[in-house]
Amino acid sequence: MNRFSLFAIVLAFGLSWSSDVIAETSSFSHHISFANDVQPILRRHCYRCHGSKNQEAGLQLNQRSAAMGTADSGEPVIVKADADASLLIQRLVDEDQGDLMPLDGQPLSAKEVAVLRRWIDDGADWPDELAEAKHWAYQPIRRPETSNLATSNSPIDHFIQRRREQRGLDSSPPLDRARLIRRVSLALTGIPPTIEEIDEFIHDQSPNAYEKVVDRLLKSERYGERWAIGWLDLARYADSNGFQADQIRDNWAYRDWVIRAFNSDMPFDQFVIDQIAGDLRPDATVEQKIATGFHRMTTCNVEAGVHPEANRVNQIVDRVNTTATVFLGTTLECAQCHDHKYDPFTQQDYYQIFSYFNNTPLEVKNTSGVTWDFFGPTMDLPMGESQKNRLDSLQRQLAELEASREQVVQQSEEGFAQWLARLQEVKDQPTQWRTVKPEVFETSGGEDFQILEDGAVLLTGTVPDTVEHVFTLPAAEQPITAIKIDVLTDDAIPGKGPGRGDAQRSNIILSELTCELITDKEAIQLELQDPVADFSQTGWPVANAIDGNRKTGWAIAPQFGKPHWAAFTLASPLTLKPDSERLRITLGQFFGRGRVIGKPRISIFNGDPSLLNIAEDVIKLAAKEKLSKADRKKLRAEFDNSNPQLRQIQREIAKTKKEIEANKPDTTLVMVELEQPRETFVMIRGDYESLGDKVSPGTPAVLPKDDSIQNSGDRMEFALWLTSPKNPLLPRVTVNRWWAEIFGAGIVSTPEDFGTQGEDPSHPALLDWLANELISSGWSMKHLHKQMVMSETFQQTSRITPELLEADPENRLLACGPRFRLPAELIRDNALAISGLLSNKLHGPPIMPFQPSDIWRSVGRNQPKWVAADNENRFRRGLYVIWKRAAPYPSFINFDAPLRGSCTVNRSRSNTPLQALTLLNDPAYAEMSLAFADRVLSEAPSSGDRERLRYAVKLSVARDATDIELDLLQQLLDEERKVVLADENIIQARTKTLTAALKLRTADRAELAAWFAVANTLLNMDETMNQ
Amino acid sequence: MNITPTALGRRTLLQRSGFGLGAFALSQLLQNESGASPLSNDPLAPKPAHFQGKAKSVIYIHMVGAPSHLDLFDFKPVLQQRNGEDCPTDLFESSKFAFVRNLPKLLGTPNDKKYEFKRCGQSGLPISNLLPNLQSVADELTLIKSLHTNEFNHGPAQMFMLSGFGRFGRPSIGSWLNYGLGTENQDLPGFVVLITGNVLGAGSPAWGSGFLPSVYQGVEFRSKGDPVLFLSNPAGVGVQSRKRIIDTVNRLNQVQLADIGDPEIATRISQYELAYRMQTSVPELMDISAEPKNIHEMYGTKPGQTSFANNCLLARRLVERGVRFVQLFDQGWDTHGSVFSRLAGKTKQVDQPIAALIKDLRVRGLLDSTLVVWSAEFGRTPFAQGTNDVGQNTKAGRDHHKDAFAVWIAGGGTKGGMSFGETDDLGYKIAENPVHVHDFNATLLHLMGINHERLTFRYQGRQYRLTDVEGQVVKDIVA
Repeated sequence: MNRFSLFAIVLAFGLSWSSDVIAETSSFSHHISFANDVQPILRRHCYRCHGSKNQEAGLQLNQRSAAMGTADSGEPVIVKADADASLLIQRLVDEDQGDLMPLDGQPLSAKEVAVLRRWIDDGADWPDELAEAKHWAYQPIRRPETSNLATSNSPIDHFIQRRREQRGLDSSPPLDRARLIRRVSLALTGIPPTIEEIDEFIHDQSPNAYEKVVDRLLKSERYGERWAIGWLDLARYADSNGFQADQIRDNWAYRDWVIRAFNSDMPFDQFVIDQIAGDLRPDATVEQKIATGFHRMTTCNVEAGVHPEANRVNQIVDRVNTTATVFLGTTLECAQCHDHKYDPFTQQDYYQIFSYFNNTPLEVKNTSGVTWDFFGPTMDLPMGESQKNRLDSLQRQLAELEASREQVVQQSEEGFAQWLARLQEVKDQPTQWRTVKPEVFETSGGEDFQILEDGAVLLTGTVPDTVEHVFTLPAAEQPITAIKIDVLTDDAIPGKGPGRGDAQRSNIILSELTCELITDKEAIQLELQDPVADFSQTGWPVANAIDGNRKTGWAIAPQFGKPHWAAFTLASPLTLKPDSERLRITLGQFFGRGRVIGKPRISIFNGDPSLLNIAEDVIKLAAKEKLSKADRKKLRAEFDNSNPQLRQIQREIAKTKKEIEANKPDTTLVMVELEQPRETFVMIRGDYESLGDKVSPGTPAVLPKDDSIQNSGDRMEFALWLTSPKNPLLPRVTVNRWWAEIFGAGIVSTPEDFGTQGEDPSHPALLDWLANELISSGWSMKHLHKQMVMSETFQQTSRITPELLEADPENRLLACGPRFRLPAELIRDNALAISGLLSNKLHGPPIMPFQPSDIWRSVGRNQPKWVAADNENRFRRGLYVIWKRAAPYPSFINFDAPLRGSCTVNRSRSNTPLQALTLLNDPAYAEMSLAFADRVLSEAPSSGDRERLRYAVKLSVARDATDIELDLLQQLLDEERKVVLADENIIQARTKTLTAALKLRTADRAELAAWFAVANTLLNMDETMNQ
Repeated sequence: MNITPTALGRRTLLQRSGFGLGAFALSQLLQNESGASPLSNDPLAPKPAHFQGKAKSVIYIHMVGAPSHLDLFDFKPVLQQRNGEDCPTDLFESSKFAFVRNLPKLLGTPNDKKYEFKRCGQSGLPISNLLPNLQSVADELTLIKSLHTNEFNHGPAQMFMLSGFGRFGRPSIGSWLNYGLGTENQDLPGFVVLITGNVLGAGSPAWGSGFLPSVYQGVEFRSKGDPVLFLSNPAGVGVQSRKRIIDTVNRLNQVQLADIGDPEIATRISQYELAYRMQTSVPELMDISAEPKNIHEMYGTKPGQTSFANNCLLARRLVERGVRFVQLFDQGWDTHGSVFSRLAGKTKQVDQPIAALIKDLRVRGLLDSTLVVWSAEFGRTPFAQGTNDVGQNTKAGRDHHKDAFAVWIAGGGTKGGMSFGETDDLGYKIAENPVHVHDFNATLLHLMGINHERLTFRYQGRQYRLTDVEGQVVKDIVA
């Protein structure tokens, strides 16, 4: 059974197979060396409990004198030349002596035990220089001797060769040029070479042909994009908060800053300083501030009930731990609760570093009730010229509008005084609606009805499709100035009403309301105006009820189950003669399907109708003996609101403000320092509520200080110390990570841990040479990358012979060239490039290419929607794809992209069926296959199948196809031609595009459909997805 | 624990790839197998447990949002009597809550037949009438009433419960087991996730593999669209064409393998073969229409629907096929308001299928080797959130409670028909036998034959484990 397998996993992770215990057969082919073979095993399995920090059972295995002595039991630990008598071996293999060591993991492998046995049996030679435990990583960087090199050799090749020869291995032959340009293009830019680039290189006779390619790639803007990917893993870059309310936030300017920094070969020490403390540089630039976004990438929980200080402390903890991992290769987080168990870091050290990062504000804010929102320092990004102009003009417009409003307000001062005076006069007049019980109620719909005490009519029984309800009202003494229709709810109505037609959607539609004066002789229709309602359905405003059109009306969806009202004023007040005149109101409901009122009621108003729209509290306020300033202001606002001219200006102001909002500069998250520094205390057991002693900012005691750095006590002091030539860790850790990205595994195979529990470097001198080279080149990343890819080691073939596989299964000695699967984003970029779709657009807000539906469906507020781009954004590089922490882009996850909730140093490199399914079936890849087929058919230099297949293979893997390969592909093509020609539907289905962004050039759709299968095949080839 | 290479894995690889290795001699690959070489090692190959554990697989049902355990499993008569009284100040001030800030009123289970507890089975385990079906399998359940956790917000608490850590970055329990034990089924992932309702707040990290290789993470089987993402062929690609394409890919890869000799290519070939088989095996697995009528009646399942019942039946089908860890998430238990009516609604959805799952596993002889876990990220407070109108049809809810909550486990070497741990009279604090999340997880691993202190992964210089540096196996509940 071999699925979900991953061979390369040991390259990426610190599993227990020794990287240095090169595979042995039963008899070791080389001398067992304490430094290379034995000590790594002891370090890996034993030092945790039997090292400098802990000596369980009195056993210490990192000091020669102690290891050659006895344990607490009095037994000798190592008996020279007698492995069987050595306690060390017994506790590893003899279960009668107790649980096999180590107690906190799997027992040692047979091979590891064999190495220890053999070493003891050979006399347990432990060289003097290693007698005392001194951890290599904390020692100053040495400049290894390289003066005796042959001139053709790069120092890299020299160190690799030296170690390789110790094991009796040869190097592999150089790669052919086609493969070489593909390897180096993918390594440096993540994009495969074009056909032209391949051909040019193959035909370039000059001695520095390869160097020219390397220099071109290093200058390419694609370089920064490719190298940003790994850095964004370290920076836990994502576009959302993480946790329950995983809202989107704007960070992308930071991502672009990283790309630009790499493209401009910004000195790496400056790159570090800007990210830790760019804001604290004198006259910090916008770019330097953007860089501090590095530590604003931390996740943030905005769930109700989050405790802001706990959240803040968690964020600082994440910043300290990430800083230690990224820049020091140190597992400082182990010292958060107590002194580091294995490495020489104390809890005091931890909180001293914590103190540098502690002067930050809270990053959640209580916005209402129990709602918390993401918060904290953001910065406006500089705007482009046109955006700036637009914003300026909008702002001018706003100022003008505000001025004219002011003018109107001034001019209407007199009007306001009159209005106020009238309000004060009318205070005793009626301001309330009065319900009226109809004298007669008639309906055209045949319903049962009942006139209730308050004048409402409850209709039951038959539900007519359409109906007219007619109210005849008694005469009243005072003039009628306005009427109101209530549509009430009642338990007797389905869904409580107000409409009777549908319990779920109890809408009413009042098509036409007419109001008539009935005299002895005639019925005179009265003019109504100023329609108002408590609520109107979109597209169904209350004005429709008096527009004379039976097809329009007033409706109330979706506010079902609630009473509503509509009111109208009479154009002129109406006084009825008690004996001869009546008022008749007809509610015409002509929509159909029973959208009819269940419980209507009529009210009338006898007062000044202009008071109707004025709230009662306003009238009361106006009646006050003495008006305060605030009272006047409120009344003034009420008055202004009733002025149509002012309302118009207000509307324009609102519109302009909205536009200004839309044209506001983009923002990004930055670090700022509190003016008043916080005090920092040791947190007992890491608990922010149990504080111990106060600490001041300071660097770890075990690492060298640099007295030349100004003692500012802030992040700048720390950043300068990190990048000081006295700190041996930053250069070593950095070059090791770059090496791992280019060669597939680090010189130290645990790039996240350079501590005592990490692996030893396979080539210590090489590591130090590279670290030295980094500093002496002025911290040039491009210089180092050039050194690496120019080495012969890099340019070897990656052919693995059985002998090699046996001698060095992980290729730690680099007797052949690196070969490994591309990281997730580059799998996609590579396929996009091959299919000719890749967009070269740099920078900007994150993009949404195709993804299956229902990926974004977590709980939480303000969830954004995924809208797949239908333009060039659909085909941009993977690092621009929006990264939502709770639901990252699924095809990336299938190829081992991390979730970005925390710092990731090394991605695993798995090999699973889900990857196969992704490349075979993901509609995004189907789209690429189609475009690839289209490209081959329209661009191949010749139209024969064989030539086209050759072209397709060359696009995929740069090299020429072999005859076997061409035969296999031809066979597939022939079969698929038969399939598509037999069924037009297949042709349609395969060549249908999902997006306008993909334009096909091939007219012969049948051919295209057949070639789709070839393209799909080539994009799935192992070689295509490997660097 | 580390991945140990197995001879089986390597040999099968070579047989499976159905390919003469040419220059790449089979014997030479196999020669290495006693050694520590990782080559050709299948990280998901079954691996021996640390000791004989009864459970072979886990069905882990997580009720997202946290059910009101007080009204389901931990009945508090005193709380019921004191319903409506102020919550004792000393208790309220001793802990933090997500929503409630002012001194709340106690909230007892309604004194109503519908919410009554019944002593069930031979064991007399008290279970609410809201779970009538579960009552009938009471003797299978091991109730833990004294669980407590460190986190009181959903996202962090979900991560803590499932990964032993309240932030992101650590492996989930399913991926730990996948890593420690591998899986029995060759054609399915070892860790499958089934979801009803929205995805939980913690998102996919809840079934992520943290720092473990990503091959161990859970794979979500979806009830809409492709059950596994990208399972179905692109439009216009039929079964024959798909087979032809995969065959061509694999032949091209074999040519490469012969030339380059990278064993990773051989793995790639077998992964494509497996992908092809999964295209048949997964839809077949997900299609429950062929299950007999009595099974559908027992679970309350309807083929083609998205429902918790369907997921329970799928869980059984997955375990039957040798999947190591099946995780069910069901959303909608976060009852800050109207706790009683909403609890009645939710229990109605899950009671019948959960009981059916237990019975079905029992009948099939799978319950002894399958550990069923019913839990949540925390419990709910004994006091009311919102008004608690005594005697009214209360709209009150319960806030998050981390200091004491009840979960149960069944099958897989648990004693069954017993309850462990007690809370105080108000259900506020643990009165006896506290079980921390780390203890709980240590116990789950123990039931699987894993010593939680030895299931470690070295990362950043530490031997990381699910239980951090804590965790005591609760021996009293292990059969």
